[in-house]
Amino acid sequence: MTSTKHPTGRIRRINTSLLLSYLVISIVIVIILYPIMWTIGASFNPGNSLISTSMIPSKATLEHYQALFQNEGSLQYLKWFKNSIFVSVSTMVLSTLSVTFTAYAFSRFRFTGRKNGLMMFMLLQMIPQFSALIAIFVLGQMLGLINNHLFLVFIYVGGQIPMNTYLMKGYFDTIPLSLDESAKIDGASPTRILLNILIPLAKPMLSVVAINGFTGPLGDFALSSVVLRNVESYTLPLGLYQLVTNPMTASYTKFAAGSILISVPVVIIFLLFQDNFVSGLTAGGTKG
Amino acid sequence: MKDKQAPISAVLSLIPGLGQLFNRQYIKGFVIFSLFTAFMLVFSDFFQAGMWGFVTLGTEVPRDNSIFLLSEGLVALIIISIGLVFYSLNIRDAYVNGQRLSQGKQVNSIRGTYHAILNEGYPYLLTGPAFFVLLFSVVFPILFTISLAFTNYDLYHSAPANLADWVGLETFKKIFSVDIWRNTFVNVLGWTVVWTLVASTLQVSVGILLAIIVNQKKLKAKKFIRTIFMLPWAVPGFVTILIFGGLFNDSFGAINNQILASVGIGPISWMTDPNWTRIALLLIQTWLGFPYIFLVTTGTLQSIPDELYEASVMDGASAWQKFKQITLPIILYSMTPIIITQYTFNFNNFNIIYLFNGGGPAVLGSNAGGTDILVSWIYKLTMQNSQYALAAALTILLSVFVIFIALWQFRRSNSFKEVQ
Amino acid sequence: MKKLSRVLLSSMLAVGGLLSNAAVSQVNAQEEYDLVVWEDVNKGIGIAAAVEKFEAEHGVNILVVEKAYAQQLEDLRLDGPAGSGPDVFTMPADQIGTAVVEGLVKEVNADDAVKASFTEASIQSQTVDGKLYGLPKSVETQILFYNKDLIAEEDLPDTLEGWYELSQNNTSDSFAFLALFDQLYYTMGVIGGYGGYIFNQDENGNYLPEEIGLNNAGAIEAVDYVSKFYTEKLFPDGIIGEQGINVLEALFVEGRVQAVISGPWNLEPFTSAGLNYGVKELPLLPNGEHMQSVAGVKSYNISSYTKNPELAEAFLLFITNEENSLVRYEETLEVPAVLALSEHPTVVENDAAEAIALQSEHAKLVPGIVQMNEVWNSMDPALQIVMNGQATAQEALDIAVQQIISTNQALQ
Repeated sequence: MTSTKHPTGRIRRINTSLLLSYLVISIVIVIILYPIMWTIGASFNPGNSLISTSMIPSKATLEHYQALFQNEGSLQYLKWFKNSIFVSVSTMVLSTLSVTFTAYAFSRFRFTGRKNGLMMFMLLQMIPQFSALIAIFVLGQMLGLINNHLFLVFIYVGGQIPMNTYLMKGYFDTIPLSLDESAKIDGASPTRILLNILIPLAKPMLSVVAINGFTGPLGDFALSSVVLRNVESYTLPLGLYQLVTNPMTASYTKFAAGSILISVPVVIIFLLFQDNFVSGLTAGGTKG
Repeated sequence: MKDKQAPISAVLSLIPGLGQLFNRQYIKGFVIFSLFTAFMLVFSDFFQAGMWGFVTLGTEVPRDNSIFLLSEGLVALIIISIGLVFYSLNIRDAYVNGQRLSQGKQVNSIRGTYHAILNEGYPYLLTGPAFFVLLFSVVFPILFTISLAFTNYDLYHSAPANLADWVGLETFKKIFSVDIWRNTFVNVLGWTVVWTLVASTLQVSVGILLAIIVNQKKLKAKKFIRTIFMLPWAVPGFVTILIFGGLFNDSFGAINNQILASVGIGPISWMTDPNWTRIALLLIQTWLGFPYIFLVTTGTLQSIPDELYEASVMDGASAWQKFKQITLPIILYSMTPIIITQYTFNFNNFNIIYLFNGGGPAVLGSNAGGTDILVSWIYKLTMQNSQYALAAALTILLSVFVIFIALWQFRRSNSFKEVQ
Repeated sequence: MKKLSRVLLSSMLAVGGLLSNAAVSQVNAQEEYDLVVWEDVNKGIGIAAAVEKFEAEHGVNILVVEKAYAQQLEDLRLDGPAGSGPDVFTMPADQIGTAVVEGLVKEVNADDAVKASFTEASIQSQTVDGKLYGLPKSVETQILFYNKDLIAEEDLPDTLEGWYELSQNNTSDSFAFLALFDQLYYTMGVIGGYGGYIFNQDENGNYLPEEIGLNNAGAIEAVDYVSKFYTEKLFPDGIIGEQGINVLEALFVEGRVQAVISGPWNLEPFTSAGLNYGVKELPLLPNGEHMQSVAGVKSYNISSYTKNPELAEAFLLFITNEENSLVRYEETLEVPAVLALSEHPTVVENDAAEAIALQSEHAKLVPGIVQMNEVWNSMDPALQIVMNGQATAQEALDIAVQQIISTNQALQ
């Protein structure tokens, strides 16, 4: 039974706290959008440095976008874009595959080394992969795989496995065993159970793992700088990074343009899969 | 004779395959035998060279490259270990089947063996590929780094003109005996710990707080708000970090020139005063990190059954009590693993530290910059100073530290005990 | 079950196939060429004609790749053993000590006539332990660039003190004078002029890494003087740090500074930016001395990983000869190290070359020994701290010198 003692008072109180919430949210939205708007503005600014750039450029120009598409010398944006798409998609596919199989094994089977295996995964993801830069370089050289994108994908997939397997296994755990059992009674093999029952139900977590595999390579320039030595074989993060680090030839504005071009598709993908993430992360990430 | 079937076949399997032959599993024995022979033929040279290289690290320049010898030796070791695992499996298999014969049971025909492998070995088949990838992309680099830390590999000992040597714990000792390195190590470690704790706590708190605010029943436009809130996570991190680096520039950045100026606050030395740089980093990491927590918390909140709240309202709970006794505990309990990963992520958060201000600005008496954390310092040592062995030693110290703390926390927290 | 294993097997094979194909194609790309040459960014045009001539004369194929010259040695470390490295490359001469210690460069056989054709300082910069490891490509030192639209030549102050006074009229948007004095590369000119030095030398000209003059009375006085510009806010904070050079050049190009200290690498960019600028030697120090700016020598060197050492050496001798050095100068405005060319009309008539030549008379080579690495590592942060106002010159320099000595010792 709701209290009717001070009806107007309560409504006023609710309104204030709601108003406050809207205020806080608006401030946060401004804070979020500001750097992003700035980047968009910077990409249309003439010149190379950030001192003369402003969010709304006085002399808007498309020159940076044009330069990106010209594909010459040390600025080969299109090639980098293509390379990154290849690396990201491959990493996404291969890591999702291996993570799904491995998580299935850990979730549904009892075998020696299972418990320690899980622990190992948790611990392995705490050691930063790139601190073994020289090791990876030497391995690549021994195998003659420097400048080879598949080798880079191999390394990236290895980095994705520990964390994502842990998440996926958690998600599988929330799918009741009774489903497996009834399928077994119907004569389904373990593989069939995985393919026809578990995977369709795990779509939310699958999207999380897939997105991790896609965006992971997009944020790495340390590992790729050691494996990819030719300008043509650079991935986007590496190429864009070169645009701003060499003090003699840095161009913030070109960098901004390049960043916008890659951010747009990534953001769109994120937005499309929003709901999947929320449910996937909630179920699989929580409770372990 | 029958009682001794098992031990005899086990001993016979010291030569792989013979035991199986003795157990009358002829095809299996033959297959095992040929596999092992092929294995030895292909790899024995490699093993020999690898072991020699690993132990000596080369004796002659420029023919020998110490680092390649080290890694070839490690690969050889890994392959030998894999071989040993299968070797012991083979012996065990012979023993077990020998036992079955002794007990009067039948041993599997080749078809039976095939099915047995598929059934019992199914989980191993599933995890095999991932394990293989992990072995070479994660385990090998870790072993390599550990080995490097016990050598003296640096500028003066690098190929092709020089050889490196095993020096045992000397590199580790140097970390603590050379003044400048010891000071740097202590400073960097201190800041790394502070950074990890503060940044992670901040982003988690902000994420949870915002999730609660946005989740209020009467709040409208939830989907729109959530979409915008996701942006910092969606836009590739290293892009925004570099842009922030420009925005925070002391003299020409928009933060000083436009935002602070419009409120009448004088310019802040974001990039030249280490303390302000640290504050900027914390703010940026909160910006970057809260969406993820926000999303997960939102999902968790939505899964809390309403009856819990309604029951507490009947007991006369205030909003604050509802939060403290229902919402918060549930959030913290179910999100513990994710929260913990935020801490480990920030401990190794190379990108933001390195890209924002290069780990700087510079500070007196330290080899690293004022905002360098362990990983960024290690990176600089490797790429800029060619101090490979030192970087490797630091990596090991870092990893031991992190793993130790993680294990300790896991033991304490209840959620991990649920590993059935 | 069968389907699964079939899928697995075929994907593994596919991956394996792709792997081997990809690996082979990558290595093959470079093997088509007889020589791979790494040139500095935007300077490939300087050797284009020479490359063509050489290719025709010897019937070979040469690939020229442009990379930042200061990072080429770093890249060579990784690319050399991987097989994707160059045969000939370029680097700043002060990296030669490191290159020799690591064994990354090959000795060059040049007869005395060739050696004598270069300036003594530049040839010395390529000599380690009496052996020659490269040939000089160009010499440079810092000069003063001034914006003719903002200040006339007659009004240019002759001394740093004069610029200090002009700077009193700075506004938040425009500056009289800027320099990157938080970097040793630029401040060395002031330190040297006051009697500081990096490594002391013995009678034979060998450097003594234990004797460092970066915190002697002269050095401290020099750094104290220069820090005035920062603490009195005559230089904006935004030009401190690694990215400072970017900001400084942008400010000059936008006409917000009357004069900057910079180097010949900006001759071409400033021209193509359409700036109406002039050049002059560096202003005098308050004690009447010239600034002992760092004399930079850039060299061409042979990678020790080369598969064609004789061809590489022939190419090296070719592009550094008098004729090709002149062409390089005409295309890239990098002043050559060839003695005969210093009298050449094209060089003499050019303002920039003259300014460089005049300033070079007072310029000093940076020691090329391996211990130099630690000097850059320690001094740049120390200077930055002083310019930030976080420490006095005495404190920071003392600690920096300590650091240099102890780190170099620990590394032995």
